[in-house]
Parts: sequence; C-alpha cells; structure tokens
Amino acid sequence: MTWFTEANTQQDIIDRAPTLAPTFKTFYDSFWQLSSAPPSLLELCRLRVAQLHQSDYQWQHQQIKLSTEKRQSLSEWSKSAVYTDTEKACLAFTEVYCMDPQAITDAQAEAVKSELGDAGLVALIEALGLFYGMTRVSQLWGF
Amino acid sequence: MSNQPRVSANLSKTGNVVRDSALGLVTETVDPYLRFNHAIWHNGPLTAAEVELARLRNARKVNCVFCKAVRYDIAIEAGLDEAKVEQITDDFNQSELSEREKLILAYTDYYLQQPTAMTSEFKQRLTEEFSTAEIVHLSLAIMLCNCFSRCAVSLGGMPEEDLPRMQISVPE
Repeated sequence: MTWFTEANTQQDIIDRAPTLAPTFKTFYDSFWQLSSAPPSLLELCRLRVAQLHQSDYQWQHQQIKLSTEKRQSLSEWSKSAVYTDTEKACLAFTEVYCMDPQAITDAQAEAVKSELGDAGLVALIEALGLFYGMTRVSQLWGF
Repeated sequence: MSNQPRVSANLSKTGNVVRDSALGLVTETVDPYLRFNHAIWHNGPLTAAEVELARLRNARKVNCVFCKAVRYDIAIEAGLDEAKVEQITDDFNQSELSEREKLILAYTDYYLQQPTAMTSEFKQRLTEEFSTAEIVHLSLAIMLCNCFSRCAVSLGGMPEEDLPRMQISVPE
C-alpha cells in the first residue's frame, strides 16, 4: 500500500491506469529480448542504478537471475575480476549516466560501442533511461 | 557534452522522425516505444496540455535543446499556449498557472531532483486534486519524457544554443 492507492507493487499500481498499462508493459518487456544488449548485462546495469539511488525495492527485484557473486560484488565492480570488459564498460557508463548524461565522455561511449556496436550503445542508453525512471517513480510512490 | 553525434552510421530513411533516428537501430524497442508514447499522449486521463507541461519542465531541467524547442500540436489544441509555457520556470509557484498545473510541475521536480523527499502535505494535495489513474499517468509521462531527453543528451550532437520553436505532431 502506498500513499495514493492500496496496490502493493509498482506493476499493480501501473495497472490502475488501464489505458496505459498494456503498452507500458510491452515497452518494458521489449528491453529483455534485445539482440544488441544481453539481458544479463542490462540486469547488472539496472541493479547498479538501484544501488546508486539506494532503492532497496529495485535492488530486491530480480528481472534476470545473476550469479550471487555478481550481485554481491556490484558496488565494487571496478576492482572485481568477476565482471567482463563489456560489463565494466557498461557499468562505467551507467554511473556517469545516473549522475549527469551531459558528463558522459566520448571515450566512455566509445568503450561501450567497441563492445556492443552502435545499436548496443543506443540500447544501453534507452534501457538506462527506463531503469532510472522506474527507480525514481518507485521512490515517488513510496517504495 | 559531446557536440558530435555518437551514432550516425546506417540510419534508415523512412520519413519517420523516430525510425530514422538512432533509436531506429534498436529495432525491438521502436514499435513498443511508439505505441506507449501514443498512449501517453492520447489515451491517458490527463489532457495533452497537462502532459506537455511536465514534458517541458523536464526538457528545461535536463537541458535537452531539441525537447525544449518542440511543441506538440495536440497540446496546443488542448489549450497550452506560450503564455503558459513562459511560466514554466523555477519560480512557477509565483506564476499565474492554476494550482493543478503547479502541482504537475512540482511533482515533476520531485522526480527530477529528490523523489524520496515528498512531504505528507504535498502528497495530500496531490490526492485531493488527482485520481489514482491520473497520478500513474503523470508518473509514466514524466518517466518517458525524461528517458528520451536523457537519451538525446547521451547520444551527443546536441546544439549548444537554443533552437527556434517547432510545432510538430506526436511521432506515430
């Protein structure tokens, strides 16, 4: 239950707008079937967005199952050997994106492009916008 | 901020502003985005003028030059005029906007600045003015506008100076 409805989850609240919920769900689900950015990579970035927002609600949510090691080491990803070069490039990009997208450098964008290509960079940027938004909306709603 | 677009190769030329942009490279999300965006502007309980208020507030705070220049025709038809747009400043609480419009801008600012900081008094004012479906609509609209304005900034190539006002239709 939150401050404006008795619904208990973010999705249940979204369902309270029945003219919008189906298209939102299709949009959200489309990010987990991309050819240019693997779901496990996006899940890592989604969880990092949750950490940076100190959102326990989003952190507890599991969209894609990751290894325990990858979840537990995420706050220290830059020093950890459990993450691939691709994951590290995307996590570095994620952190700057959350602080200020105007601060993203060409080198950070190139690092992602060299791993995922042009489409992968665009996919990551779109996905980060969605994760950033879902996290902030859940916080607005009191989760 | 990079003045050069970070993605420019092999963009398609369909005549659709979204499909021909970098977003068109991610083929799996284009149609779902266009359908969701359509729903936000046409199918929700808030008017298009109310959604446009939140979109423009976000555009100014994120400093997306393209987003700031755009006016959606559907919002103008729903009653949004430039006299109102000019009041979407940091001093909007002292403006002549209605209390409902001020609440929309204040909620947008909470999203943008500190989503955990809403006071009980502000929440009560929102629930007195807006239905549950309207609060969900406003939240999703802000999220979508913020997502794609940050996307435009992240992709580089943003002009440094403001662009002339452009009245366009919601991309379909």
